[in-house]
Amino acid sequence: MIGFLRFAVIGLGALTVLFWLVRIYARSLRREALEEHWARESAAGVDLGPRDAYVEAGMDDYEHGLTRRLVWLVFLLPIAVFAVVVFVMNYR
Amino acid sequence: MRYVKWAFWTVIVLVVGGFLHYTLPQHDIVRVVGTYQERQDLTDWTRIFWSTPDDQSGTLTNRDVQFIQAIRANGKPMVYRNEDTGWRWPPYFKFDTATLQTQADDLRSTAEAPKWAVVTHYGWRNQFLSIFPNAVGIRPVAGPDVRIIPWVNIVILGGLLVLILLIRAMWRQFRERTIEPLIDEAADKWDELGDRAEAMDGKARGFWARLVGRGRK
Repeated sequence: MIGFLRFAVIGLGALTVLFWLVRIYARSLRREALEEHWARESAAGVDLGPRDAYVEAGMDDYEHGLTRRLVWLVFLLPIAVFAVVVFVMNYR
Repeated sequence: MRYVKWAFWTVIVLVVGGFLHYTLPQHDIVRVVGTYQERQDLTDWTRIFWSTPDDQSGTLTNRDVQFIQAIRANGKPMVYRNEDTGWRWPPYFKFDTATLQTQADDLRSTAEAPKWAVVTHYGWRNQFLSIFPNAVGIRPVAGPDVRIIPWVNIVILGGLLVLILLIRAMWRQFRERTIEPLIDEAADKWDELGDRAEAMDGKARGFWARLVGRGRK
């Protein structure tokens, strides 16, 4: 039992670190894409309004969108793999 | 210097490669010829090649370990240990040692009437260190020539590659978006300081010139 707790704490700790890293990374990619889109459209003569306001509005959409929730797969996939491994190893 | 670099990378590759080779599952096609159980002393450094099935076994100086004796398809003998890995490393989460031993006993056969089986295992056999690979699964197969595709290894190594590339991409993004702007900012500040220092220098020189000039007059 202690063994399982130790495994769970270490495993969830590592996943939490990875989760935050991926979350920050994904957000950064989105912001960069918004900035580049604004620059490209502005260069082509399209008026998207002030740069900062455009980027912040885009980030606001992102924070409430579906793609951001996909980052939770960082937790879900390894836990699913763990469950499958335990089942296959001991019950088949 | 070049040799130092080579030596460094050789050591890295050997350590990482050896670690993966020890830990990842491998398949042997074998004929089980027997099983036995033997008391093992676990106090010297080769302890790292044995499992710790549960917390109390971590402090034992010796305990019984089950073994599976087999002849491989190429005719060479192989002995596997059969131990729980529990919740510890490597993460096989194996708790069915007794069941596996029963299955191995059931597949026992002779050279005249062989029953072939695939043993999934990790670890190394070394006669000098008396270490044994740990069997984690066994299943009967049609014959000694069946082809086994190591899906688990493909998935794990693929996943590892994805993880390394992800971390590299994250680092590059961090450098491009966070570190480099900071350096640019610092460089700008430095330039500004330099300009100001030059201006001050000019002023000071003017002042000095005026002073000295006056003095000379």
